[in-house]
Amino acid sequence: MGSTVIIGLGNPVLADDSVGLRIAAELRRRLAGRSGFTTVELYSGGMWLMEAMAGHERAIVIDAIVSGGTAGAVYRFGLADLPQTRTADSTHDASLPVALELGRVAGLHLPGKVKIWAVEAADVETFSERLTPEVERAVPLVVEQVLRDLDECLDQPLRKNQ
Amino acid sequence: MSMKRVTINPVTRLEGHGKIDIFLDEDGNVANAYFQVPELRGFEQFCRGRQAEDMPQITSRICGVCPEAHHMASVKALDQLFAVEPPPAAKKIRELLYMAFFVTDHTTHFYALGGPDFIVGPDAPPAERNILGVVRKVGLDIGKAVIECRARNHHVIQMLGGRGIHPTAGLPGGWSKSVSEPERIEIEEAARKNIDFALFSLQVFEKIVWQNPVYREMAESDVYCHRTYSMGTVDEQGRLNLYDGQIRIVDPEGLEFALYPASEYLDHVAEHVEPWTYLKFPFLKKIGWKGFQDGATSGVYATTPLTRLNVASSLATPLAQEQFEKFYAAFGGRKPVHQRLATHWARLIEMLSAAEPMLELATDPEITSPDVRAIPQRVSGTGVGSVEAPRGTLIHHYEADGKGLLQRVNLIVGTTNNHAAIAMSIRKAAERLIHAGKVVEEGMLNRIEMAFRLYDPCLSCATHSLPGSMRLEVRIRSHAGEIIRTLRREG
Repeated sequence: MGSTVIIGLGNPVLADDSVGLRIAAELRRRLAGRSGFTTVELYSGGMWLMEAMAGHERAIVIDAIVSGGTAGAVYRFGLADLPQTRTADSTHDASLPVALELGRVAGLHLPGKVKIWAVEAADVETFSERLTPEVERAVPLVVEQVLRDLDECLDQPLRKNQ
Repeated sequence: MSMKRVTINPVTRLEGHGKIDIFLDEDGNVANAYFQVPELRGFEQFCRGRQAEDMPQITSRICGVCPEAHHMASVKALDQLFAVEPPPAAKKIRELLYMAFFVTDHTTHFYALGGPDFIVGPDAPPAERNILGVVRKVGLDIGKAVIECRARNHHVIQMLGGRGIHPTAGLPGGWSKSVSEPERIEIEEAARKNIDFALFSLQVFEKIVWQNPVYREMAESDVYCHRTYSMGTVDEQGRLNLYDGQIRIVDPEGLEFALYPASEYLDHVAEHVEPWTYLKFPFLKKIGWKGFQDGATSGVYATTPLTRLNVASSLATPLAQEQFEKFYAAFGGRKPVHQRLATHWARLIEMLSAAEPMLELATDPEITSPDVRAIPQRVSGTGVGSVEAPRGTLIHHYEADGKGLLQRVNLIVGTTNNHAAIAMSIRKAAERLIHAGKVVEEGMLNRIEMAFRLYDPCLSCATHSLPGSMRLEVRIRSHAGEIIRTLRREG
């Protein structure tokens, strides 16, 4: 199996917008010492996100989303059904699909497998380093589900490495 | 013609995040256009009581797009707050990082956002008006060149700033990390490539855009022309300086109106509040707020790459100066230039005027000096720092108690400075397409996009966020405020 990049997206000082960063940080802790994993924090999507994926076989992207669902709800998407999560696209450069296509035509090695996890946010407009309680509860759920996903490609399940 | 007063209730306001509203008068002509943005709550409260020296890290997290600009404005404010003068090498390292940031940011804007309108064409379908369209038109190598330019400058920022995205090395009184000789060599190489790439980009602009009569006519036309005051930062000789200097304002005729250090900004700039948006409209205090109007009697000003060239007597480096002269010659020797679409050209000239000092700094013998920190001895109580962010003059203002704990924080970001000007440009674009209640939908979204895009607005910072991508939505409202048409484009 090739390398996997885990990318947490969001704004660390904007309440629930930081949920992707929080989950990525926890995954970094749980995967410490395991080879083949890189964890990245990104505060901007688009080109940055494409560049962070380059060189890896698999990418797992975790972001907040505001889609009208119940706060703390967890969604999983592939690139084909990419929703508008909070940060995956960028207002400043390109949408993620355009950025990925640019990377491809420029000859970058981009992951064949991309999974996007999104957590429904309750508050993305208040400066705070805390998540709202519903979104906080989603953090361990997503961590476990991502680890379960990763298990599928490993001989030794990661969840036992706690 | 009078516009009926429209009261927007708070619910409507909240729905208006990042949307454009065009208000018609009773005759069905455009009365006003507004760019609505969300309000983020509690930034000052979030900062109050924190240690002032945390601000370069906190403020650089406000925005994922230009953290370097916040980091620099913040450390400069801290120098003043802690009454400490950084050693020369520290100032040079800060500026070196900042120049690398400017090159990558302007590159991204030109090739991914602003350039496609011209290189691919203003009426091309949105699916083609992006960087892939630029690659199809200019060639595959341009895609690689843009990615390489971003990669090498991000690497420089990481080497100098400690982290790839959010620099952490800025401290009151200097910088936490000196530059090694191998790093310097790498940075020098990156700077040389940046100069070549900036010159190449200017050639692309000249050949594909300026030599095309259609685009040239559009750039020179009155559609996107606003005769406002211009703002930017200049050095002691009046030359453009993106990192440090005094703020200069020239009037619509090009005469100096004000020249002041950032610490005096409150004497020159005040903020107007409108009932329909939380974002404020800064204006020139000595002129006053006269509404969304052009001209010397209106306090509206702009701060963009174009206005920065307008306030500068010259550029500090030879190749950029050549381009500066060519630019004004192309507009018949008139200065200031008020045709806002020329901002894209000015942005490329700035890219060169950042790449050249980057090389000068990278080859400066002092850049590898280990003396990069002066230790603060006291708290002065107030610190104001400013830089030119890619999208306009950026000011950080902090007040702290005797222990250095923050009591008050005020930020004026580039896009906020341009808020009134952006609304005026959108209105002017809309006026061409709406007459007596008849709306020409064809091309409207494109023209309106071009109107605000030239300012390179970074809304993640002005408001301090926006949902993921720019899904353009234009609502046309009757004189009574009812929405009569909504034009939408997915991001």
